[in-house]
Amino acid sequence: MKDAFATAKQIVMRLPELMANFLKNSIIGFFFEAKSFSDAFIYTKYWAFIWGNIFKFIIRLLFKRGPIVLVRELFFRYPWILKFLSATKLLRRLTRGRKGAYLESTALVIHAIAVLLVEKLEEVFYQPKRLLISEDLVPPEIAMAMGLNVWLVEGMGILLPFLDSEACLEFIDEAENAGMNPDSCSFVKSAVGMVIKNQQPKGVAIVSSNMPCDAGMTSYSYIQQQLDAPPIYRVDVPYHFYNERAEKLFVEDLKGMIAFLEKHTPGRMDWAKLKEICEKRNYMMELELELWDMMRTSPAPLASESIWLSHLLLFYWFPGNPVSIRHYERLVELAKKNLDAKIGAVENEKYRAVLWNPPFPQFPDIFNIVERAHGITLILDSMTFNRHDPIDTSTPETMLSGLAKIIMQGPMVRHTRGPAENYLDDIFRCYKQFDLDMVWIANHVGCKSGQAMNGILREKCREMKIPLLILDYDLLDPRIVSHEGMLSQVDAFMENVMKERSKGK
Amino acid sequence: MNRFQDLLESPQNYLVEQAVEGGRIPIGYCCSFVPEAFLMADKLFPLRLHAPGVAGTEIADIYLSNFMCTYTRSLLEFAMDDRFDLIQGWVFVPSCAHMQRLYDNFEYLKKPAFSHVLDVPRKVTEATIAWQAEELKMLADKLSAHFGVDMSDNSLSKAIAEWNRFAEVIRAIGDLRKNPVPIITGTEFHRLIMASLVSPKDLILPKILDFQKEIAQRDNVGKFRARLMVTGSHLHNPEFIRVIESQGGLVVADLFCTGSIPGFPPIEMTANGDPIRTLAEHTFKKTLCPRMMEDFDRRLKTIIDTVRQYRVDGVVIEIIKFCDLWGVDSMPLVSALRKEGIPVLKLEREYALGGEGQLRTRVQAFIESMGK
Repeated sequence: MKDAFATAKQIVMRLPELMANFLKNSIIGFFFEAKSFSDAFIYTKYWAFIWGNIFKFIIRLLFKRGPIVLVRELFFRYPWILKFLSATKLLRRLTRGRKGAYLESTALVIHAIAVLLVEKLEEVFYQPKRLLISEDLVPPEIAMAMGLNVWLVEGMGILLPFLDSEACLEFIDEAENAGMNPDSCSFVKSAVGMVIKNQQPKGVAIVSSNMPCDAGMTSYSYIQQQLDAPPIYRVDVPYHFYNERAEKLFVEDLKGMIAFLEKHTPGRMDWAKLKEICEKRNYMMELELELWDMMRTSPAPLASESIWLSHLLLFYWFPGNPVSIRHYERLVELAKKNLDAKIGAVENEKYRAVLWNPPFPQFPDIFNIVERAHGITLILDSMTFNRHDPIDTSTPETMLSGLAKIIMQGPMVRHTRGPAENYLDDIFRCYKQFDLDMVWIANHVGCKSGQAMNGILREKCREMKIPLLILDYDLLDPRIVSHEGMLSQVDAFMENVMKERSKGK
Repeated sequence: MNRFQDLLESPQNYLVEQAVEGGRIPIGYCCSFVPEAFLMADKLFPLRLHAPGVAGTEIADIYLSNFMCTYTRSLLEFAMDDRFDLIQGWVFVPSCAHMQRLYDNFEYLKKPAFSHVLDVPRKVTEATIAWQAEELKMLADKLSAHFGVDMSDNSLSKAIAEWNRFAEVIRAIGDLRKNPVPIITGTEFHRLIMASLVSPKDLILPKILDFQKEIAQRDNVGKFRARLMVTGSHLHNPEFIRVIESQGGLVVADLFCTGSIPGFPPIEMTANGDPIRTLAEHTFKKTLCPRMMEDFDRRLKTIIDTVRQYRVDGVVIEIIKFCDLWGVDSMPLVSALRKEGIPVLKLEREYALGGEGQLRTRVQAFIESMGK
């Protein structure tokens, strides 16, 4: 009785805090903060769409597979799916302080994640015999054209921390406990940990590559072993890839992959379908380029997640998908709207920044916070900054050649291969092209390739008088550098290098 | 054994100095995917880069960061201290992110007159062997143009023959370790191998032959509690092996870049007699690095076969801290070896020998855990 009273008292004492949290994270809280009725409407619309998608997925699973399977799959086999129930919390976090077209563009990205993830999960549940396990830098277009569904082993490592910054810790710990070196990339550790915990789907085959890093590449021997040894094909991008010889070798490799998939999976290459996918991808790229053109103006009409998260999700996992296309069309419309009205995405845009290296999945709010605190506008990131031509869809050979170039010259591949210039010159090119004020390096502790470039980069930036922030963090593990630690690095940079005093968050 | 230990005291020993004084050209390299025989053509000789006695890597840390393996950091530190001043050409391989960025930083900081990156593929197919051969051909042309050396087929064939003679001696000594009562310790063998990798082959060969005669007179190397195999990252310091052996674990086999398995098989000329193609094929055969994406099974099988052939009681996997290749690869390797009933000890270490006491304790406990 005494205990019950104490518990009740404790709850009552915590009510103000709980209420504050509720308001901070719920739609009701947004209504208090919304800057206009139209913003409230936009928010509510996407809030409802996201929940609608989640319910659609659950109800379909319930009716198609029954309640027992639903409970088994959601609570035991893939318990991480439940994290997506907090998708609207992410919506709330990322849209804080944003308004109008910028607010909508951010909501649009989270909505796209919800829609496409449901599509992906349904492929896992309803078409397991067509499921191909793939490493994140192997082109999905080929498997898609073969009628296979691609599951990126590393995909959840990126998405889950958005929803809960500690979501991957159990997987990281699992991999380390199994003997994986703790200093390797947490992105890889997380994928391996999920496999060990049997929380990754098992496909009919695996395709992997030598990209982007040693840990990622090497982990596939273990992943294959843990997934009951399905057949595996590994593509190999040469070190010197800006030449015809390398392109030819890699195209042959892709052909080898197609032959492998035809042998080991029910997938069959449909060149007409590949053409269609490539054309749609080209269209997405056109839209993205249009968006970039608008982003060059100051103040930028859109910023942050609408640019980098859109690219990261849609180009790497869903190229040519109708949802992806509609997403980019809408982004262009929203950017135009702001541009025509001469409205900047970030109120009081003061500094235009580029983020180099993988962004911050476990702390995506950082851009929202620095926007409001310092007027820093994230214009672009290295993962989005592609410089390849559209795919020539005239023949199968030209399509493979186009895809080969996209992979070989894609971010993380071209930045981790070839001489240092591949990495450095791109930063300076981007800095100039988008009229930037500062360069942020996402200094992921597990990325050795990036770490070893910082010395040269620091000296070059000093020579060129480019303000450089090397922000220490871990991609998926907030225990390495806390969110507060990351923010204080930004504050210190703004104060010491940009000579600005922080006005609070 | 001092004759070999002396050669390991400095990154450029007196045999290197002697060769350079004689007008020969040392080419530095740091990865086993650079075929030694290739760099033995004409006046060239290969010099495996090592950093003996490295005390700290303060300058290298600024550029490469603290998160890179201490081998690459040590090499950059030595380079910044001009400890490789005799070396006239550098051949790198993007074998891992660390090596790749070592090259980048080295280029930026030292700007050597001759450097080259040999783009070695990460899997072996007909297409990648042809690619590797083209890579070697490009390097041959570049060496020839820069140093005026003869890199013709004839010259390369001669170099291959010379390397084969040297490798035959090494293999013969290495095979002695298979004996139930070995007459050479792991420490002695590792000193010999390291010395031969950092010296011109022709100048060190007489010393090796003398040593071979000397050990032939021995009955045994004393009592040991267990026979061990060591595998893992670059190991340049025979003292590491000595510490293991001091605890009663005789190292009878070694599978690492500077070990003898499978590093010294004879180079067999291909049917068309093309030395470059021959070397391209040979490079893939003689190297078992986790950078090769599809070689896990071959690596595992080689270790298991070695365990049987050399009557190994337990395997020590040594990994240089921050080496992702071995760090990740050792995970499936350890479980696969244990599944085969082979006891495994996984050790993380730095390039320079440190924490000797801890190492002793770990090895001692490992040997005890095997009931020896």
